Amino acid sequence: MGIHIIVCIKSVVLDAPGGKIVRTPDTTALNPFDLPALETALALRDESGGTVTALSMGPEISGLSLYSALSMGVDRGVLLCDKALAGADTLATSNALCAGLKLLEPYDLVLFGTRTADSDTGQVGPQTAVGAGLPLAAQAREILVKGKSLEVSAECDGFRQRFEVDTPCALTVAPEAAKARNASLGGIEEAFSGEIEVWSLEKLGLTPDQVGDAGSPTKIKDMTPAAKGKQCDFLTGSIEEQADKLLEKLVNAGLIQ
Amino acid sequence: MNPFLTEKHREVRRSVRAFCEAELAPIAKDLDQEARFPWEVVEKMGALGYFGIQVPKDLGGAGMDSVSYVVAIEEISRVCGGMGLCVTVHNSVAVHPIMAFGTREQQEKWVPDLAAGKKIGAFCLTEPNAGSDASGIQAVALKDGDHYVVNANKVFVTNGGAADTCLIFVRTNPEAGPRGISVIVAERGTPGFVAGDLEDLCGMRCNPVSSIRLNDCRIPGDHLLGKEGIGLAIGLAGLDTGRIGIAAQALGIAQAALEEGIRYSKQRRQFKVPIARHQSVANMIADMATQVDAARLMVYRAAALKDLKKPFSKESAMAKLFAAETASAVTDMAVQIHGGYGYSKDYPVERYFRDARVTRIYEGTSEVHRTVIARSVLGKF
Repeated sequence: MGIHIIVCIKSVVLDAPGGKIVRTPDTTALNPFDLPALETALALRDESGGTVTALSMGPEISGLSLYSALSMGVDRGVLLCDKALAGADTLATSNALCAGLKLLEPYDLVLFGTRTADSDTGQVGPQTAVGAGLPLAAQAREILVKGKSLEVSAECDGFRQRFEVDTPCALTVAPEAAKARNASLGGIEEAFSGEIEVWSLEKLGLTPDQVGDAGSPTKIKDMTPAAKGKQCDFLTGSIEEQADKLLEKLVNAGLIQ
Repeated sequence: MNPFLTEKHREVRRSVRAFCEAELAPIAKDLDQEARFPWEVVEKMGALGYFGIQVPKDLGGAGMDSVSYVVAIEEISRVCGGMGLCVTVHNSVAVHPIMAFGTREQQEKWVPDLAAGKKIGAFCLTEPNAGSDASGIQAVALKDGDHYVVNANKVFVTNGGAADTCLIFVRTNPEAGPRGISVIVAERGTPGFVAGDLEDLCGMRCNPVSSIRLNDCRIPGDHLLGKEGIGLAIGLAGLDTGRIGIAAQALGIAQAALEEGIRYSKQRRQFKVPIARHQSVANMIADMATQVDAARLMVYRAAALKDLKKPFSKESAMAKLFAAETASAVTDMAVQIHGGYGYSKDYPVERYFRDARVTRIYEGTSEVHRTVIARSVLGKF
């Protein structure tokens, strides 16, 4: 039967022309921080056998990211898509993902990227693990399957840690963990010959007050571009003096040691 | 917005672009300067299906449509024209004729290795005295028992220095004129098969273009493609498809030149403003963008017609003519926008300019394409 790995992925907004978020195929893409998680899952499956399911939440257009995942070799794609899910904060997102995970049982491992390229909270992975009652190890770099448990290496604050975690469990995968494979042309053809599954709120067994805007305890009140502090210093003196001053500034800024 | 593209095609673009920017972009300049064929990239491209884009899955290909094919060629050529050339010639005029005219046994014999990129294909028609007039070839294959004895001197063979599986246009019946031309598949390693020195070319320098000579080369009779006497029909069918690939290649080079032109014109300042603020430069950018867009629509239309199994010969000829002329014009303007830097090998537009030039020459010159188009437009009169 092999290992069943679920990778939670997000379709992120790359660009907001004119400051307005309009989701089109050109302005959205699979979150780059999810790619190492997908690659890790595919490599584990290739080694141990089994299946990889990609799970995402978002409007219909988010399904394109699931097709990207299928093109890389993921076996199954599930999109949680319902108007009631719109406007979710990270907790409401985790509620929906937990319900999706419940329907995908049994599984051995749930993987997340560490963060997203468009909102960058880093909360959804850990929150979902808590919601689903799964042990979590963060910033995983190497994963070894050892029977019913995993040996996970992670790096944090300059230390390399090794964990033993019982399955089923959840991991956030560090960006450095793996370089994602390119989708082969045959893989793309196969992905688009098949279909992803789209699950509604009803299928998830949730009510509108548990998810989306209604189920979100935090609300974004407003959003404005942060002012970028830009300062231009002209260095004076001889070439040698300028070089020394530049060096000093770079060292003080922590850019070089 | 491009009405010919589906989400699948967008995924092809995303994936091929990511691969080429990671694997080819860092070395494209060196490949050009050193005239080096990157076998290490070929191996990776093979694993990703780039050498059997339209080959059915049961023969090891990706089983994709023509629009996917042109998107892939466009994206490879956007980064490295010479590798775009390698892939398009291999797919269009080496693999495709075997799929279209070969027996099932021949397909099973040659196509899986070609589709996997383990072997590279070549199309050997041009001779020192036969180019646009393909019926003037002098290569001969004479039957000797169950073999052909082939003598041929083929020049300017794209992929020649790397090719294992070569489609050789020969006269099997020297008295029959154009109806005596056939195609025989010759394999590297056959005694008498000699790949000549690599050509020292102006552009597309990473492609191992060479001569291929066959000297009293004994080739099994079952290496004949189709039947005797249909060589020109095979060639023309291959070129109909091949034109779309070359058009896509020209398009990719033009796109790269457009992007570099835009980037540089916003960054370079003269008279206290970015040069893109000068109307003469902005007009060049407008013309480049418009021509590239028009070429793209023509190339994708030709491919879409092929996918719909509608006639596409005229449209592919128009696409090849227009895209090749566009590539030349747009790379020329990109050099002009860069001024003196554009004439230097330090900037990629110099390479694009050299690479673009040959798209007006090979797989049918612009002049031959005008003849083909005029014949189709004017009809019989």
